[in-house]
Amino acid sequence: MDESPPPPDVQSPPPPPPSHTGSPTDFLKGVVGKKVIVRLNSGVDYRGILSCLDGYMNIALEQTEEHVEGKITNRYGDAFIRGNNVLYISAAEEL
Amino acid sequence: MDVSSTGIQEPFDLIRLSLSERVFVKLRGDREMTGILHAYDGHMNLILSDVEETIMIVSEGEQQATVNVAKRKMDMLFVRGDGVILVSPPSRT
Repeated sequence: MDESPPPPDVQSPPPPPPSHTGSPTDFLKGVVGKKVIVRLNSGVDYRGILSCLDGYMNIALEQTEEHVEGKITNRYGDAFIRGNNVLYISAAEEL
Repeated sequence: MDVSSTGIQEPFDLIRLSLSERVFVKLRGDREMTGILHAYDGHMNLILSDVEETIMIVSEGEQQATVNVAKRKMDMLFVRGDGVILVSPPSRT
């Protein structure tokens, strides 16, 4: 068998992404129990402590403030947000 | 099973703990309602009784938009889950 190295024109696989960034799942695991900002597709923001979330991205928040165009429009002790409305989840404190 | 201080492991626990309680529901189409939660499922289809629905009607005027509020009451209601944005249980303190 010829054990010569592969010809140089063979493309090497792309370098792995920078380590330590983690996957989206790692981010979500890390952010549970922390202050977050949840933005919905409608543009409304919910700021509160992320209690938990599931595979549909349904979200349970504590001490929630509803912000519309920068103003607080509502407060909820607990809030369940249906996952289909979620645009993003942003960490609002150091992880 | 390890139970945290709130006793919630998944978001649906929040809803389960609100059965037979009055809940606030925010819906698509600028609608909100409160009612007694009798049943729910994984789609967030809801059965509510003693419901008051609040509908925000925004009309764009020349200078500014005005919001009119319409309310109506229903004895028993099925809410299709895909209209649900947010459900808030009564505050448990």
